[in-house]
Amino acid sequence: MTASNGAMSTTNTASLTVPAQVESVTQCTEFVAACAMAAGFPLARTHELELVVEEVLVNICKYAYVDAPGEMELRCTKTDSQHLILEFIDTGKPFNILTLPPPDLAVDLDQRQVGGLGVPLVRALVDTATYRREGNRNILRLSVQLPC
Amino acid sequence: MECKVREIANVSLIQVLGRIDHTTAKAFEDALSPHMAGCTGEDKKLLLDFSGVTFISSAGLRVLMIAAKRCRKQNGKMVLAALQPVIQEVFQISRFDTVFEIFPTVRAALEAISPAAASAYDGQ
Repeated sequence: MTASNGAMSTTNTASLTVPAQVESVTQCTEFVAACAMAAGFPLARTHELELVVEEVLVNICKYAYVDAPGEMELRCTKTDSQHLILEFIDTGKPFNILTLPPPDLAVDLDQRQVGGLGVPLVRALVDTATYRREGNRNILRLSVQLPC
Repeated sequence: MECKVREIANVSLIQVLGRIDHTTAKAFEDALSPHMAGCTGEDKKLLLDFSGVTFISSAGLRVLMIAAKRCRKQNGKMVLAALQPVIQEVFQISRFDTVFEIFPTVRAALEAISPAAASAYDGQ
């Protein structure tokens, strides 16, 4: 069962579709926070998932749509008592966030890149991340586990 | 996001409150910018009290990185204090804990960067 544009209640999957623009960040982070809290995630872990959602959405806007109009669907599924799956689905240009090169974090301040920290944060804060292209859709699937 | 500023001896103590994300990063940058200009040598140092920051994304880190680079360029001193655990984790992942000096409390930061400011802080 799927609940559209709403947080999970008695169903296992909730879905939110928003314009693929940075202005949608707050709506998406609030949506995921509600899903995570409903799934039993503690507040600190919920904040981490909000961070993941913001970083992914911003990158989709920047690279898949290149600031052109479009939509992104965010699906949140509780697969069992321990796992939450976040899926980001868009119809922009083929874009795999997982292949973006991470900045070198070990260099001196003078050599540190100013941006590019979104991908390392996403990678560090989820348990598994996969990307696939299906037809005209980019699908990024992130799995997160409830802390022990 | 909100910033409250107190001048204590030669330190500008900037208490940052709320979320620093893509929607508030520009406001954070604008709030920080006026204090960056005078942050040179011993005359003026910056201390960011992060005890009230509940969320920071790469947009906020970007503002801090630009500030750090500017500080180094003008021989200024900017340190942070009192990071909440979720912010500490973001700093560790992004290695910002090697970019900034970070202190557990505002008092400890003041003691390290300006004993005069620490004394004044105790007297307030």
